[in-house]
Amino acid sequence: MAFVSSGYNPDKPMEGRLSDIGPRKYDEFYPPFIAKNKGNWEYHEILEPGLLMHVAKNGDRVYTLRVGAARLMSVTHIREICDIADTYCDGYLRFTTRNNIEFMSESLETIKALRADLEKRKFKGGSNKFPVGGTGCSISNIVHTQGWVHCHTPATDASGPVKAVMDEMYEEFGAMRMPAKLRIALACCINMCGAVHCSDIGLVGIHRKPPMVDHEWADRLCEIPLAVASCPTAAVRPTRIERNGEKVNTIAIKNERCMYCGNCYTMCPALPISDGEGDGIAVMVGGKVSNRISMPKFSKVVVAYIPNEPPRWPTLVKTVRHIVEVYAANAKKYERLGDWAERIGWERFFSLTGLAFTPHLIDDFRDPAYYTWRQSTQFKF
Amino acid sequence: MAKHATPKLDELESGPWPSFVSDIKQEAKSRARNADSVEYQVPVDAPDDLLGVLELSYTDGETHWKHGGIVGVFGYGGGVIGRYCDQPEMFPGVAHFHTMRVNQPAAKFYTTEFLRGICDIWDMRGSGLTNMHGSTGDIIFLGTQTAQLEEIFYELTHTMNTDLGGSGSNLRTPECCMGPSRCEFACYDTQDLCYTLTQDYQDELHRPAFPYKFKFKFDGCPNGCVASIARSDFSVIGTWKDDIKIDRSAVQAYANGEFKPNAGAHSGRDWGAFDIQAEVVDRCPTRCMRWDGGTLRINNRECTRCMHCINTMPRALKIGDERGASILVGAKAPVLDGAQMGSLLVPFVEVAEPYDAVKEVIENIWDWWMEEGKNRERLGETIKRLSFQKLLEVTNIKPQPVHVKEPRHNPYIFFKEEEVPGGWDRDLEAYRNRHKR
Amino acid sequence: MDADQQKVVDFLQSKTSKTKFYFQDFLEVFPDKGPRDVKKILTGMINAQILEFWSSGSTTMYGLKGRGKQTQAEEG
Repeated sequence: MAFVSSGYNPDKPMEGRLSDIGPRKYDEFYPPFIAKNKGNWEYHEILEPGLLMHVAKNGDRVYTLRVGAARLMSVTHIREICDIADTYCDGYLRFTTRNNIEFMSESLETIKALRADLEKRKFKGGSNKFPVGGTGCSISNIVHTQGWVHCHTPATDASGPVKAVMDEMYEEFGAMRMPAKLRIALACCINMCGAVHCSDIGLVGIHRKPPMVDHEWADRLCEIPLAVASCPTAAVRPTRIERNGEKVNTIAIKNERCMYCGNCYTMCPALPISDGEGDGIAVMVGGKVSNRISMPKFSKVVVAYIPNEPPRWPTLVKTVRHIVEVYAANAKKYERLGDWAERIGWERFFSLTGLAFTPHLIDDFRDPAYYTWRQSTQFKF
Repeated sequence: MAKHATPKLDELESGPWPSFVSDIKQEAKSRARNADSVEYQVPVDAPDDLLGVLELSYTDGETHWKHGGIVGVFGYGGGVIGRYCDQPEMFPGVAHFHTMRVNQPAAKFYTTEFLRGICDIWDMRGSGLTNMHGSTGDIIFLGTQTAQLEEIFYELTHTMNTDLGGSGSNLRTPECCMGPSRCEFACYDTQDLCYTLTQDYQDELHRPAFPYKFKFKFDGCPNGCVASIARSDFSVIGTWKDDIKIDRSAVQAYANGEFKPNAGAHSGRDWGAFDIQAEVVDRCPTRCMRWDGGTLRINNRECTRCMHCINTMPRALKIGDERGASILVGAKAPVLDGAQMGSLLVPFVEVAEPYDAVKEVIENIWDWWMEEGKNRERLGETIKRLSFQKLLEVTNIKPQPVHVKEPRHNPYIFFKEEEVPGGWDRDLEAYRNRHKR
Repeated sequence: MDADQQKVVDFLQSKTSKTKFYFQDFLEVFPDKGPRDVKKILTGMINAQILEFWSSGSTTMYGLKGRGKQTQAEEG
């Protein structure tokens, strides 16, 4: 494995350096029919699940085939996507915010041939490479974070539970049977770099044990004041303890103040937070970001804790499926999950779903908590 | 023969949804075979070792990654996230496994030529594994070693004419919906605003000087497909001021069942015949519509542009022509004091090149937040701490009823001294002349 | 090194308990300068390789190049 230089000279980092050039301009990547009709679209229609038709004012039509993908993707897979786009779409494609891929063509015949081709493409293990769907009132692809694949503070994996849930929801991805859009998101810890807090169903990894302190290493591995400063709840403080007859600088954790964010572990590897038996997933429901009919709203916690059950998280999958079924059977057309729960009342949500209402589900965190209690005699028995 | 046995992960190869495990395995195999004689610059078996360490996590239920403080390439304070495996002897191929964020083109249209170029760089100089895309929108390169960071950056800039994205206390990589490129609801050119601001604020994107992260996101209409209202400090959402345009014959076509309602979004279930009264008029949140079986009327003055009727009858109802955007600020995830949604700051702004009106709001906010924000305080938290009034003041925006859902619940009003006739310096003696001690 | 850069170095060397600081901490060193001017000073020092960044991923800090326990742990 001989080192191959790109042309960069480490002794003269500024020589020939290009910086601050930003991304390529978007319109370099427009297929011709998009460049031509930008800003002149008249309407669109979902011809069947996963197949969109956009019609321009001049009558031009573009057909889009939307396919799901695992967001963790190899260059081999991306090259296969490129081969497909070269064959059917003149070398153009796009990705969506929810990790779907869109293949576009002016020819419906081409798109149908493409779909037939995609249906045959499978990974060696048997799963589909390019499932078609994710449009309209389907359960579209799950947006998610890194999990055990690449993050240092996750309380669960991301790709694994997402695969398990999407396997269960596979038919719903390729159908449009829900009363409204149903969006699922997964964040592998409460920091939520995936911002799942406004999803119809948000799955959030949670730790339940404060970090341990590796006293022997704390002062050697970390700058203790940085770990102290990183704690949002002031649960981390510096201290001195006696160890093997010697006074050492170390860290003390006020366990009852810890909210399990893992920020201190980021700053200091002597404060590990992951714990196989403590960690798991909370289920939040009823959020949305669209302004359609009702205003955007946050998701609410309806299951405080589900243990991690790799590799297929059966309890989590069952719980999500159950919530989806009860929602689909009871909500009115156009009602997002949160709109439905608000119309029937959250007490009815729990009686219909049969989910256990535990003390954990009552907010007790600072000011916003009060506004979630019931200041009324109006409720349902 | 796989390098590590992965019985647990192997269970994620079955089932219909695309398996990331199968994909990593195919990459491991492709690298081992090396049909194109790539001069791999990081361990060839990185994907094998990634599977190995992930299997270990599946066994003990705990992550095996440590954070590292490495930030980027020379002169940049973001774009790279340092990662180290905590079992480097078992998995040397991923012992050092840093992430790089590559700024995606706005709305993620690609040519295969560009994507192949990206793949070639990453195949040779990284693990060959990516995220398409990360939560904020970047192309994520998953796993390389420190020595490759400058090399990759050199190739990205010189060969691909593209740049890294943001991380840390920077402006994060801006993101937008597809806007007018293929959507009839777009009220402004989201891609152009996103691209222009990304270019204009390259220094803010690469060199951290903010109290914390700062995110721009651009939604073309109130449907909010990139979720800007929930996850960006500065959210621009398209809107319009004039009337919804009605095509009366198309309304009739919907009423007669000739057009599929909701653009066909509900077609997977039999919901019965489309009923404009029940599904459009009665669902309107402001009840500003009337339907007499023949004519649809909208009292546009009362409309709050929720998009429901337009989404439901896209061939009959169109967004207005006096278009622009609303700006909402301060959204963030729950840590620490709870999640915040973006709060309406600018009800309407024209969105036209060179976007000075939008940039003025941004820069006023930055000047204030950079001065007053505490370490690790998101803009939304600074606003909560110092008040929405203060935000209006620093952005020179007049308070209006639309800024609130309802007026305040308490009379603890912090009047300013200059608002009160005579100020706060009072004449005690004169008072005592009127009142005995 | 100019006078402003020296001030930054003096500030960092006067702190014994930690080696990395948030951007906001440097505003105290230059009470008469705004954040944008302070940023220019720090950027110049990064480019001159006097300072270096350290990031938690979500935030970023500045410190003297090569100083700090994390640096040793990561490169070692």
